[in-house]
Amino acid sequence: MLPKFDYFAPQTLTEVLELLEEHGREAKLLAGGTDLIVGLRARERLPESVIDIKGVKELQQLSYDEKRGLNVGAAVTMNKLLHHDEVSKNYPILKEAVSTIGDHEIRNRATLAGNICNASPAADSAPALLVLDATVSIASRKGKRTVAIREFFAGVKKTILDCNEIVTSIDIPPPAEGSRGSYLKARRAVGEDLCVVGVGGLLTPNGKTGKTVRLAYSSVAPTPVRAFKAEKVFENNRPIDELLDEAMPIVMKTVSPISDVRGGKEYRANLVEVLTRRLVHRLWEAA
Amino acid sequence: MAKHMIKLTVNGTDRAIETESNKTLLWALRHKLGLTGTKSACERGDCGLCTVLLDGVPVKSCLILAAEADGHSIVTIEGIAKDGVLSPVQREFIEHGALQCGFCTPAVVLAGEALLRRKPSPTREDVVEAVEGILCRCTGYRQIVDAVLDASKMKP
Repeated sequence: MLPKFDYFAPQTLTEVLELLEEHGREAKLLAGGTDLIVGLRARERLPESVIDIKGVKELQQLSYDEKRGLNVGAAVTMNKLLHHDEVSKNYPILKEAVSTIGDHEIRNRATLAGNICNASPAADSAPALLVLDATVSIASRKGKRTVAIREFFAGVKKTILDCNEIVTSIDIPPPAEGSRGSYLKARRAVGEDLCVVGVGGLLTPNGKTGKTVRLAYSSVAPTPVRAFKAEKVFENNRPIDELLDEAMPIVMKTVSPISDVRGGKEYRANLVEVLTRRLVHRLWEAA
Repeated sequence: MAKHMIKLTVNGTDRAIETESNKTLLWALRHKLGLTGTKSACERGDCGLCTVLLDGVPVKSCLILAAEADGHSIVTIEGIAKDGVLSPVQREFIEHGALQCGFCTPAVVLAGEALLRRKPSPTREDVVEAVEGILCRCTGYRQIVDAVLDASKMKP
């Protein structure tokens, strides 16, 4: 049995923004519902209103353009994203990460925007979006703003969104020439399980220094995090194992794993080390 | 709390239901329409036993509000056999003994049906992916996957 709330199904973005202006503080937005309805049933959330955004056409848009990159509307389901040819072709890391979320049926409802707005530290799409330098488009009745994904998460289950704001889309710039990325997820069971540690990496050939490497993590800090300081180490043209030996202690300072039902903090720290080395080696050797 | 009148197509028949905001599609199917083939178990999206097809796509009906289904088409296990004739997936489930207690069977049959409609000649991996969100605690997955694969080779 779910707690009581009022249900709204606006058909235009203007109506959504007006509803948020009026009810925002006591309202929750509903896209796929795969996190929200679980939270309602557990009474972790008791909104007075639930605003279903799936009826808004412009939030259903999914498009790719060589100059602007990928635009994923807030109501686009994960399976729609996964079956888009340009996603497989240009953002294999995103495909890899999103295909580990929930299961096939969950992905028929769940959305990329919902995954980041839920702001779980374990959000699987986040490391991919972080290394791809995604941006989040946000709207309220007062106007629009765009925020880099690395500035979007504010804490465990918290984002920088104001209560009258909605994420309208997530944008990912076109992939850099020759870049390749991958996402490694440690979990207890294939299918449905949340992530114990997730590592996303993106390697791009770079004329001056050889290669640039980006690294991001889920489930090892209050929010998904990008390891900016450690990435700088890879700007030196030296053997991969030397670079990793230097980078890993810096990565370990970026993350702060805790113990929970899915794994202990020592285990998580060890996974960060093992998975990062495995991922960087894999990307390096494929280069 | 407002009542909602919703209209939806269930197993090919137009239905109108009075519901409340906080009622799920699962509840509406079982308690308003008496379609108890759709099972209720974890009610938190983990077990997949409440699977139905929404506009042809398998979804977990415990995670969908009844109001969200307004204007959509739903197929439950009761809508799979036509005029008393079982579908190829259903026949292959019997052939393979792909059930013990049977509680997950409506869900896995629907997931198999949806896969074959989307991809008539699936690989073994495709079938595994299609049923991974549905828990069978009698551990009969091998027979379930074999049944769906063999159904794909049959003429409907």
